Amino acid sequence: MSVDSLQTLANVGKGESTRTTLRVVILFLIAGAAIASRLFSVIRFESIIHEFDPWFNFRATKYLVANGFYNFWDWFDDRTWHPLGRVTGGTLYPGLMVTSGIIYHALRTLTIPVDIRNICVLLAPAFSGLTAFAAYLLTNEMTPSSSAGLLAAVFMGIAPGYISRSVAGSYDNEAIAIFLLVFTFYLWIKALKQGSMLWGALCALFYGYMVASWGGYAFITCLLPLHAFVLICMGRYSTRLYVAYTTWYALGTLASMQIPFVGFLPVKTSEHMPALGIFGFLQLLAFLDYVRSAIPKGQYQTFLWLFAGGTFGIGLAALVVATSAGIIAPWGGRFYSLWDTSYAKIHIPIIASVSEHQPTAWPAFFFDLNMLIWLLPAGVYLCFQQLADEHVFIVVYALFGSYFAGVMVRLMLTLTPVVCVAAAIAISNVLDTYLSAKSPKPEDRLSDEATDAAVKKAPKGGLKSTSKPFVGVYSIFSKGAVVGAMTIYLLLFVLHCTWVTSNAYSSPSVVLASRLADGSQHIIDDYREAYQWLRQNTRDDAKIMSWWDYGYQIGGMADRPTLVDNNTWNNTHIATVGKAMSSREEVSYPIMRQHEVDYVLVVFGGLLGYSGDDINKFLWMVRIAEGIWPEEVSERAFFTPRGEYRVDDEASDTMKNSLMYKMSYYNYNTLFPPGQAQDRVRGTRLPEVGPTLDVLDEAFTSENWIIRIYKVKDLDNVGRDHASASAFDRGIKKKKATKKRGPRVLRVD
Amino acid sequence: MKTSAVFSAVLSFVTLASTSSAASSSRTDLPSTFTPPQVFKNANLVHVISLEKNYVKENINVVIENIDKAPQQDYFLPFTADQISRLGGVEVKDRKDASAGPFGAEVVGVDPKSDLQYLRIRLPTPLKPSAQQTIGITFYFLKAYNPLPASIKQEDTQFLSYSFSAYCPSVYTTSKQKTEVKFPSATVPDFTKLPGSGEVKEFPQKQGSKLTYGPFDEKPAGALEPVQVRFEFNKPVTHVARLERDIEISHWGGNVAFEERYTMFHRGANLSSLFNRVKWAQSQYYQPATHALKEIKFPLRIGSADPYYTDVIGNVSTSRFRSNKREALLEIKPRYPLFGGWKYPFTIGWNSDAKNFLRTLSGNAYILNVPFLEGPKQPEGVEYEQVEVRVILPEGAENVKYSTTVPVSSITDADVVIHKTFLDTIGRTALVIKARNLVDDFRERELVVSYEVPLLASLRKPLIIFGSAVALFVATYILGSLDFRFSSK
Repeated sequence: MSVDSLQTLANVGKGESTRTTLRVVILFLIAGAAIASRLFSVIRFESIIHEFDPWFNFRATKYLVANGFYNFWDWFDDRTWHPLGRVTGGTLYPGLMVTSGIIYHALRTLTIPVDIRNICVLLAPAFSGLTAFAAYLLTNEMTPSSSAGLLAAVFMGIAPGYISRSVAGSYDNEAIAIFLLVFTFYLWIKALKQGSMLWGALCALFYGYMVASWGGYAFITCLLPLHAFVLICMGRYSTRLYVAYTTWYALGTLASMQIPFVGFLPVKTSEHMPALGIFGFLQLLAFLDYVRSAIPKGQYQTFLWLFAGGTFGIGLAALVVATSAGIIAPWGGRFYSLWDTSYAKIHIPIIASVSEHQPTAWPAFFFDLNMLIWLLPAGVYLCFQQLADEHVFIVVYALFGSYFAGVMVRLMLTLTPVVCVAAAIAISNVLDTYLSAKSPKPEDRLSDEATDAAVKKAPKGGLKSTSKPFVGVYSIFSKGAVVGAMTIYLLLFVLHCTWVTSNAYSSPSVVLASRLADGSQHIIDDYREAYQWLRQNTRDDAKIMSWWDYGYQIGGMADRPTLVDNNTWNNTHIATVGKAMSSREEVSYPIMRQHEVDYVLVVFGGLLGYSGDDINKFLWMVRIAEGIWPEEVSERAFFTPRGEYRVDDEASDTMKNSLMYKMSYYNYNTLFPPGQAQDRVRGTRLPEVGPTLDVLDEAFTSENWIIRIYKVKDLDNVGRDHASASAFDRGIKKKKATKKRGPRVLRVD
Repeated sequence: MKTSAVFSAVLSFVTLASTSSAASSSRTDLPSTFTPPQVFKNANLVHVISLEKNYVKENINVVIENIDKAPQQDYFLPFTADQISRLGGVEVKDRKDASAGPFGAEVVGVDPKSDLQYLRIRLPTPLKPSAQQTIGITFYFLKAYNPLPASIKQEDTQFLSYSFSAYCPSVYTTSKQKTEVKFPSATVPDFTKLPGSGEVKEFPQKQGSKLTYGPFDEKPAGALEPVQVRFEFNKPVTHVARLERDIEISHWGGNVAFEERYTMFHRGANLSSLFNRVKWAQSQYYQPATHALKEIKFPLRIGSADPYYTDVIGNVSTSRFRSNKREALLEIKPRYPLFGGWKYPFTIGWNSDAKNFLRTLSGNAYILNVPFLEGPKQPEGVEYEQVEVRVILPEGAENVKYSTTVPVSSITDADVVIHKTFLDTIGRTALVIKARNLVDDFRERELVVSYEVPLLASLRKPLIIFGSAVALFVATYILGSLDFRFSSK
């Protein structure tokens, strides 16, 4: 009796309910930290949608909220890609917008007056809290130590690799997709471990949600079959695997085909073939398994070889035939660039022109993951030590993820979850070993055994040889040193994450911040100044031509039709705009007239030293235009004879006569004393005489000259061409063909 | 003093039912054969047209005489249909007796299609035969000017033109009258000249920034003499097409929140060539007078706090707020300088302590006294075409009554609606008052609203939230203790 009560007393701190409460509290705190660390930009600037793509998602969400789901589904947007339009409802991943729409309507039902913009801005931080929780669940499946799960949750919450895509305002597909990715993996592991159809179905459900949300779903589509394949190769085929995989594949594929943008891709494209192949392979294995139990061993061997060889041959032949016949689409360009990093640069400049499609630089790994990156191998090693089915998953994921993260900067995002899980396993292993305050003593060992065996007090002085050999850390100093070092690492990690988030990932890029001489913050808001001007003071259907980077922003903020935008589905159309920008005025004007362009918008950073401007992007326009019209646009002609890209006096004639150059520097020299015009981005002095524009009128220039808007002139009233009309306005006399006068003749009456 | 003012305000409360009926009857249509009876004579008339702001303020001071045999009460003033649509802020007073208070004045239409419309002024007491009374009629015209030339360069000076009649339009014979026109500056390059009478050879006479047509001798009813003036007005012609003003009262928070949404236009001369940033930036160094709208100042009530200034694409960072014991001045700059023909819609809002505006009358009866308009205070004036003031009272407020010192003829509609927000169950009572054609002269006018909030209504929300939370927990508990498995081992 007394012993029982003593034990209950001792177990108060260790009670299951206390631990659960603690765990829940800690998880809530982690979610809070994850959300809080993403709010830098809201606090510094305002609740604003960031960058480029989020503006489209925001606009689509507003459309969904205003017009309802079915209209959204059938949305044909005639305000983009003028005059082609875009079947927006069928060419987007609706998961993000629908999620925000549901949250919006739920809150409205509770009559909470929340603005859809705030939902969109805060969606990514809110989902990062959920991601942390999903990472906790996933890690718990890997190791019995629940501290590993909590560590993984913390890492997931604040790792810059994930924060980079999920700060407040970064309303992009990745905002919810990473949560779905991690959670789908958790459900997969759960289904695999239990061989449960229920978990498999749940996994398929979340996979379907993931497909609805992000193009990166292909990562799951390839990783799960790979995991299954590796397990099969390791001789670990089991009914559990069969049940989990087939449930996921059958339901998941059906679910994914419900999204119009995906449609029949899962049975048509090469990216989805591994999943189908493994599905078929598992059926064969299951069949063989059955046959083996039914027929004698000798016959089985022959049967096996014939059967396996035949099936493989037929399958391969079918694949080749289907691919060459065009039933299965070949690999897409973005996919090729995953294997050959210079592929895009040569063949598809439009993909290469996006900075996030560039190969990753080595420091980026440390920048985005800090110490986690060197803990990853340790975690993977620990997984190797146990190597149950779920650990194989981590190993496969780590290898796969590391490769892709090395190829494309933005795929750092898919690597981050596994790095967090592996690092958490490693750290918790170290801490669990070194953090026990008691030094192991022979007597303790005995009592440990005694309690382990859950028997009454064992008699002292049992046989030493019968007890297990005990390995442990005896010195308090080494414990202290290791734990101390780990603590310092962890603290440094937090510092690093905060610093990176605050400095690198929290700028809305629509609004720029600078400091005044007295240290106060000054907001440079040129983008919105110009977009607001366009929105209020131009016709509702005035077509705006700009480089495609600004298409989504113009659609979202200025609410005007654009020619091209960040949904780069039509390379020719983009090249047309590139050609208009890079050609002479006489060439550009017909292009602009044909596309009913009313205004042309360029970004110019020369006054402020804003380097992301159009002159710096100009070569990509030239290259993309050259891809379609090699005879008319030539990249070489934009360089000086010595191969330099210059904008000053030395610039080539093609450069100086290009519409982009003229629009950027038009009137700019009048801002300076004669001959003193400076371009602060290129750091050069500009020609004393600025360019002249004949076919365009300057319509608006923002305060710091970042955005310049030009109005396309109408045809001349008296039928002159624009060059002579503006020459006339400038007062330059047209040279008349001098009439040959004959010799004077005396007039005779 | 204060309490008596409040008391008199309470006494003068109009219940909503009666106001709305009055509002709907504010435009009575008379038979198309109607002609105002010739029962009055304008013994002497002074017509003051003030063009100093970007709206026209007209003031007709007239000595009227009853020439009929019976006592008369209705005095008519003619307007064209176009003028009626732009007419606002009509106030009629007795010039001799200030304590008589404003007279009733309402627009009566003869025929919706007719160009001739009337304003009927009802004298408080019928005027006896051959008695005289001096009345002062003040009203405003919005959208009154045309820029001339219609488009100018960015750095040019803006000129506006205004057409009116040198003889004050009247349906009665006018014995003697003169028309004074006041300008913002002495630069009046063009004005119509009329042959003089008496010792004056030629009308008008110019004195500084004032032109005087008249005095004229007797003119018959309906006599008109169209004249046009063109004058320098190098200031923005700010026009608010629509102002939505929300005033939200929170008893729990002890706060009154204001939000105003403006749809602002510049009705001045358009730019003849498109906007040139270089010239604009260079001219900013020496701050010249310009017709572009660069800055808007809102002197708010002292004690206003947490202002915000946004537009449809987010926060606008170019604003300053100076708040101390003496003032609470919100200065905002539009994202871009506003030139003629340009539009700039924006939203501002701020909070204030409820005790600055709200008073408890007795128990659960409250009285709120807020400015009807708190728009910008600009030297050139601001005109408002449509104003919608929405006073959102606490949930369950009842017995709502209001009174306002804004001219009754400007108020077109008043209604009590339900506004649901912040976990409301039955919704908040909101008083919506619509007014038209107001100008910033009325920005100090009061809006007094009285209402009652029963104790139960104010406790409803906490009780409901508590109840639903408990229900949720109980439901979770019951669901959690149920066993859905097929077989329990």
